[in-house]
Amino acid sequence: MSNKTYLTLENVQQFFGSYQALKDISLSIAEGEFVCFLGPSGCGKTSLLRIIAGLDLPTGGMVSQAGKDITYLPVKHRDFGIVFQSYALFPNLTVADNIAYGLVSQRIPANQRRARVKELLATVGLSGSEEKFPMQLSGGQQQRVALARALATSPGLLLLDEPLSALDARVRAHLRQEIKQLQEKLGVTTIMVTHDQEEALTMADKIVVMNHGVIEQVGSPQEIYANPKSPFVAEFVGEMNFLEAQVTQSGLLNSGSLHLRSPKNTLAYEQAVRVAIRPEDIRFTADTNIGNIVNARVVHLEFLGSRVRSLLQLDDRETPIMADISMNEMARLELSQGQKVVCQLPQDRLHIFAGAV
Amino acid sequence: MEATLTTTDTSSQKQPLIRRRSWDEWALGCMMIVGTLALVVTIVLPIYSLLSKSVQNREGNFVGLENFTLFLTTPSLSSSIGHSVFLAFVCTLIVTSLAFFSAYAINRTCIPLKGMFRLILVLPILSPSLLPAISLVYLFGNQGILKELLFGESIYGPIGIIIGSCFWTFPHALMIMLTALSKSDARLYESAEVLGASPWRTFVTVTLPAAKYGIISVAFVVFTLVITDFGVPKVIGGQYNVLATDIYKQVIGQQNFEMGATVSVILLLPAVLTFLTDRWLQRRQSAQLTSKAVPFAPKPRPLADKLSLLFMLVLSGVIIGIILMAVYASLVTFWPYNLSLSLKNYQFDLMDGGGWASYWNSLQMAAYTAVIGTLFIFFQSYLAEKLSGYGVLKGFFQLFAILPLAVPGLVLGLAYIFFFNAPNNPLNSIYGTMTILVVCTISHFYTVCHMTASTALKQIDPEFESVSASLKVPQIITFWRVSLPVCLPAVLDIASYLFVNAMTTVSAVVFLYSYNTTLASVAVLNMDDAGDIAPAAAMAVLIMVTCMGARVVHWFLGDVLLKHTQSWHKR
Repeated sequence: MSNKTYLTLENVQQFFGSYQALKDISLSIAEGEFVCFLGPSGCGKTSLLRIIAGLDLPTGGMVSQAGKDITYLPVKHRDFGIVFQSYALFPNLTVADNIAYGLVSQRIPANQRRARVKELLATVGLSGSEEKFPMQLSGGQQQRVALARALATSPGLLLLDEPLSALDARVRAHLRQEIKQLQEKLGVTTIMVTHDQEEALTMADKIVVMNHGVIEQVGSPQEIYANPKSPFVAEFVGEMNFLEAQVTQSGLLNSGSLHLRSPKNTLAYEQAVRVAIRPEDIRFTADTNIGNIVNARVVHLEFLGSRVRSLLQLDDRETPIMADISMNEMARLELSQGQKVVCQLPQDRLHIFAGAV
Repeated sequence: MEATLTTTDTSSQKQPLIRRRSWDEWALGCMMIVGTLALVVTIVLPIYSLLSKSVQNREGNFVGLENFTLFLTTPSLSSSIGHSVFLAFVCTLIVTSLAFFSAYAINRTCIPLKGMFRLILVLPILSPSLLPAISLVYLFGNQGILKELLFGESIYGPIGIIIGSCFWTFPHALMIMLTALSKSDARLYESAEVLGASPWRTFVTVTLPAAKYGIISVAFVVFTLVITDFGVPKVIGGQYNVLATDIYKQVIGQQNFEMGATVSVILLLPAVLTFLTDRWLQRRQSAQLTSKAVPFAPKPRPLADKLSLLFMLVLSGVIIGIILMAVYASLVTFWPYNLSLSLKNYQFDLMDGGGWASYWNSLQMAAYTAVIGTLFIFFQSYLAEKLSGYGVLKGFFQLFAILPLAVPGLVLGLAYIFFFNAPNNPLNSIYGTMTILVVCTISHFYTVCHMTASTALKQIDPEFESVSASLKVPQIITFWRVSLPVCLPAVLDIASYLFVNAMTTVSAVVFLYSYNTTLASVAVLNMDDAGDIAPAAAMAVLIMVTCMGARVVHWFLGDVLLKHTQSWHKR
């Protein structure tokens, strides 16, 4: 991955009638980077991908690829390969013909095409499937063929539109790794649209979290997870408990009868804030020296395999909060429903967001 | 290199007025424009000239609604409105019930020989609408073999028209009804059973509501088909005048084109009403069934099954009987005096109506219609469905493509006279040629073909064009290599539909044939008119056999060849 910018979006916006699907999107993507557009359905991630591909045109703004303005360039004059959720394989053509589809138009001689198809099939792990028809392959295999077809012409940019969503969980996890490894090997700049946070976290070099047509946050998977910049990101990527609070004169956070120490000391007096903490960050072994101790009652326990999710009812608070306990810890704690516990919300694990709900 | 992020360009560029396209997108766009203009010339403008003619007098001056007033105040003419509505109403009632019970028997009971019944019940669609009428003359006419069954009533008149109309409209109704009843969720029936509903209650609360839109749709279609048909009343209507024969008489008999146009406009009303209802129903219907429905499989019910089988046997018997009567009549040497069989009636060259030449003309016309029509319609539907952009143009195209469904053949034929025979029309030279017959027939049956093509194209992954554009393959190549091969079954359906209809149609072309382009279906009409009923029957039978042949070819190409070459269908 180099630091050279490959794709730039400047103030891209799109209207469908009076509805604004994209609001002033600006973003730059480095060469060889694997970027994920992550967000719930209707957030504009697919619209943005289609604008980059030229399948739809923006209402305003500019898109440039490799230093060239491509905002309104016809699809055919752009340099990208695309893979859709539906695979979009031509059902009446063999796997080989599908992969070589773009090569034929480039007037590449037949023997070279054969060699290229063979090479690509080997790359995606489907050697020997040349003469099969798409319908004879499983979903995962079809998606590999679609990937090979998109890569056949060696495009500078690979676009993946929810490529794994139609597959079942096991195939999805497997193909996730394969696509990532392939992308690293080829070094092709890649943009993937997904609504699956796990997919984005495991595959991306950079995640672009989107909501309601705006970019909420751009960053590495670790940044996004550890330092979400908005309540939306915090809740959409991973899981998060929220508490309404107010800043006291001494800089403490007051939430009902709770007094929490804040990791930030730049908060204004009487400011309304939302305090957030991830379920796995709540500790059941309280260290009184650090503070932020809360009393709670276990109202529900849910077995999730490798861990247990507990619902904790805090004193004078209606909605319980979630806390995850590993099975090892569970063996030690021996929690049961109805039990009273003391737990800690570590200061350095708290996230503070300005403003009430 | 994140510096570019911060540039907030307030005067960010706006979408250009004319979208940048690659050359092949422009080329396809031009074809789309040409296709839409073709529909304007062959459908919109003729209908416009018909409408304007109905408010003009013979000298071409605007006279407002004078023609309509004259029509309504002439008792011999206006009585035909009552006649037409009455006939259409009775036929609608009969055909809708028959079609419902037949479709019910095929889809919801365990009777044997379903495939055979299906085959027999749609046979009437392969014959011109004149065939049942001629057959009825032999069965119940003055020298008919079953004349006594009418207890002195004459078959020439409403009775004959009703039986004949029911016969040829039945397959149309059955096909819609079969579709309506085939879509049903087995879980609804299981729920009804679990909740303890009686079979009758299940029928009323589950079966009927699901078929509701199908039944309404059938009723409207039959009503329109009957009220606009002129073949049956022409042959067996006797003195009983209806709107459709009025047009024919006014135009062919009295050369009163203005009154013909006036009656046409009146005839256009029920057709337009049907058309609008159908559009409305289709929007309602689409939300009826979810994709997760479990298909219904009937269980044996002894009584219902036996009654259904009996019903189907009687119905099939009647249809076969009417067809066989026509076949037999065509082979009898001289009815009713010399009943020995011969092919004398097939010596068409000895009769009026154009002789064997008209048969060859029909064959030629049907072949041109099938080939040119299929190519044009499918390609235009493809462009409308898969070409990006051109929103306004596509809107107009869709509108023009569904317009023919609302225009009865007779009305379209007359509209063609007004438009193409106008001395100042540069296309005037195609008047009286094979070209105008082909163009008119394609236009007449355009909508159903367009819808077949659109439905098939909609089922193809919408991303094919995006993928091929990203691979820098011209769209026309993807059309040729992927879209067309995948849609071949639909293409064959369209071709076969056009061929059969071109062979059997009378209504539009009856105004447009010339001495050199007589057609078989029109010959049936003219021979019958001249009193040569047996040769008319023979020609009608010949048309039917030709259509059956076309269906066999269609089946062979579709089921044998395509199944073999389209091995990609199989898993």
